[in-house]
Amino acid sequence: MADDKDVLRDVWFGRIPTSFTLNQDEVTEREAEPYYLLLPRVSYLTLVTDKVKKHFLKVMRAEDVEEMWFEYEGTPLKWHYPIGVLFDLHASNTVLPWSITVHFKNFPDSDLLHCPSSSVVEAHFMSSIKEADALKHKSQVVNDMQKKDHKQLWMGLQNDKFDQFWAMNRKLMEYPTEEGGFRYIPFRIYQTMSDRPFIQRLFRPVSPEGNVHTLGDLMKEMDPAALPNDGEPKRYQVVIHGIEPLLETPLQWLSEHLSHPDNFLHICVIPTPTD
Amino acid sequence: MNQPGLRASWPTRPAVLTDPAGVSERSGRVLAPGGGGRSAESWKKDIVRQLKHRDLSQHAMFQDLIRFYTQLLEKTSLAKGILSCSVRRPSSDSSSSVSSLLQRNNQLKKTTGELAYQVVELQQQIKIKECVLEEQHARLSEEERRLAGVLDARQELQERVGQVQEKNGALKMEYDVLLERQREAETRLREEKVKEGHLLEDMIHLKKQAAARMNSRNERRSRARQANLQKELQTAARSKVTVDSSSSAPTSRSTSPKKENHDPESTEKPHTRLFRSASATSPRILNSIRELFEKRRGHSVCSLEEDLMCPVGICVSARVPVRARQALEAHEQGINAVRFSSSSDLLATGGTDRVIKLWEVRAGSLTHRATLEGSTEGVTCIDFNPTGLKILAASYDKSALLWQRDESVPKLTLTGHSRKVTAARFSSLPHQVVTGSADRTIRLWDLHRAACVQVADVPSYCSDLVCSENSIISGHYDCKIRVWDTRTVSCVQELPAQGKVTSLDISSDHRQLLSCCRDDCLQLVDLRRWSNDRMCFRAEGFKCGSDSTKAVISPDGCFLAAGSADGAVYIWNFSTGKLETRLPDQHSSSISAVSWSLSGEHVVSVDKRGLAVLWSDI
Repeated sequence: MADDKDVLRDVWFGRIPTSFTLNQDEVTEREAEPYYLLLPRVSYLTLVTDKVKKHFLKVMRAEDVEEMWFEYEGTPLKWHYPIGVLFDLHASNTVLPWSITVHFKNFPDSDLLHCPSSSVVEAHFMSSIKEADALKHKSQVVNDMQKKDHKQLWMGLQNDKFDQFWAMNRKLMEYPTEEGGFRYIPFRIYQTMSDRPFIQRLFRPVSPEGNVHTLGDLMKEMDPAALPNDGEPKRYQVVIHGIEPLLETPLQWLSEHLSHPDNFLHICVIPTPTD
Repeated sequence: MNQPGLRASWPTRPAVLTDPAGVSERSGRVLAPGGGGRSAESWKKDIVRQLKHRDLSQHAMFQDLIRFYTQLLEKTSLAKGILSCSVRRPSSDSSSSVSSLLQRNNQLKKTTGELAYQVVELQQQIKIKECVLEEQHARLSEEERRLAGVLDARQELQERVGQVQEKNGALKMEYDVLLERQREAETRLREEKVKEGHLLEDMIHLKKQAAARMNSRNERRSRARQANLQKELQTAARSKVTVDSSSSAPTSRSTSPKKENHDPESTEKPHTRLFRSASATSPRILNSIRELFEKRRGHSVCSLEEDLMCPVGICVSARVPVRARQALEAHEQGINAVRFSSSSDLLATGGTDRVIKLWEVRAGSLTHRATLEGSTEGVTCIDFNPTGLKILAASYDKSALLWQRDESVPKLTLTGHSRKVTAARFSSLPHQVVTGSADRTIRLWDLHRAACVQVADVPSYCSDLVCSENSIISGHYDCKIRVWDTRTVSCVQELPAQGKVTSLDISSDHRQLLSCCRDDCLQLVDLRRWSNDRMCFRAEGFKCGSDSTKAVISPDGCFLAAGSADGAVYIWNFSTGKLETRLPDQHSSSISAVSWSLSGEHVVSVDKRGLAVLWSDI
């Protein structure tokens, strides 16, 4: 009810204070001041960093500018992950603001994808939505939508319009009453210490017996190491949107309310800070 | 955790069952293992709380800071921008900043000047453009005016078109009406034509019937004649005929000429010779020829022996009639002509009813003998030939007809005149007839050929004519009497008359000519004397009744008789020149003709009512 709506709003309007600093190796005419920005958690880097680019271009010569890319403490930041996921994964327990280094040269082709324009971001975003809906409704809902509806979703995200986005997105959050939930829950589990980029498998929200699955059930299934054994202190944190939901939170509810705009539940497993 | 099956739908959410187990607070972020005893809302509240905390720590604290920083950055960059413009001067010389400023000032002034000049130029261009625009506006308005004018003209033309179309429509309607009428007229015409065809057929049929009737009658008559002929031939073959040489009594003639040739011939020759010209053929030769060709010539018109045998009587003395012996309704309509035959007491009357009736005068009464038909209009004049066997009549139908005495159908019809024939006489020459007509011609006809041999043009309407040997005398409406020579048919003499000549009569010795004129005067002219002695006879009460009133000389030449308009017969004495007697009270209408019998005994007068009165002196 009102809580649910508040949750949705808080999730949408979440911000991360960031400072962008130009890499020292970049050739500049003058010294560049850092640029501070509140990044939306649910958006993507290349969408929201136009001002950053403009700021730093003032001090650079045009011929030195190639594609802009970001890195944090040596790790190139993948723009196709939501910003919130990047922060939670890499810098969740560090001092704010989040310091990102801006590069204009030496694009790491092995680590990052190129993003020449916002339409690339749009394509990635829409494909994520479709993938999520394939898991949730066998793609029925997203296929019933018209092209303008898809556009509305994208425009809502791009222009940071909560109501415009959720006017369409609510359709994707519906399910037939007899089912009790989606067909499968779309989720991705990111781990800091892992070879794999993320874990994504089929998982039903309701057990065949009729029990509602919770977050704990999911973690037990997917990444049992994340959960502490009995008696042991907690070694890992299960973070979604910068918070740690209780393990008994129903998965269905999580998927409906704590999903990112791309309808996926992005879960970060990070080691508990020892301080 | 047991959860009731909730359908998570945004924003309408059905009522959430609240677990009355309450909400347990949790501190920190330590997760409790399992989930026994927690309420349905606890995790949610926990999440809400965590989100709020996060926002507080992450978002809210830095929000204002970053905002202000960004603003400051913008301001500095602006200032930098402005400064950098001036810093682009040779930055090593700081003292020259003032001079550089002055220079900059000058430059700015120059640019101002240039800009002002540009402004002026642009204004001029604007003015030019405005002029062009005005011109175009003017042209546009003119075009619009022209267009309006043209539209008006078009409107007018359309109205005219409408009017013309209306007229056309009206004309078309009239035309249709006329067409209708024409069609009706045509159908009527066709009907009339059909009727005409029918009428023609009927008429033709009737005429055919009349012709058939006529043919049958003719046939019957010819058959009857044949039969008669046969009978008489037979009787004549047996009986003896005695010829009576008395002059006044007509000889009982028989149509069979065979036995009679020789006897009367010798006695009658001298008389006949008086009236024959030298061109008559010799009888002797003819007799011999006759014997050869007898049978063939039995019924021909010009049978010579008939002509030869004409005993002509001479009246010794005429007696003045005193009283009427008989008054007879001779004809149904007016009688125009009456004539005694020269050889017997046979009277012929003819008039408007188109027939000629032959009467025998016997014992003081008229008995009807025969009716001669054939004239299609009224009869004007009747003449007997000297033998009395042929009757000639002039008719209104522009022809003269010739009958044999015993045949009621005319033997000949002499046509050629263009108007009514007023007089027809046998000429002194045999087989010749003279006719005078209202068409101002006198024609001579040959009976052999039944054709007109000569035409004499006269200047005036010929009303009557008489023939004497060698001459024809005609009377005309121009008050003249003309004498013509028979052979040359040219006018040899013109005698004046007192008025319009209505009739002529010649005395038996051909010496005296009586003319009756319209001015009620009878004139007697002596023909032999070229001094033209004339005697005029008038009487009180004598009025000429019509343009064709006939007057006669008595056979002995002593008396003149004429009928008057008052219905009385006037008789003058020639020698005394005075009225001898007046015979009134018989006729109720104007007398048209009188005739004196050859014997002198009888006078017959006929009037316009059809009454014929026989007068005699006894």
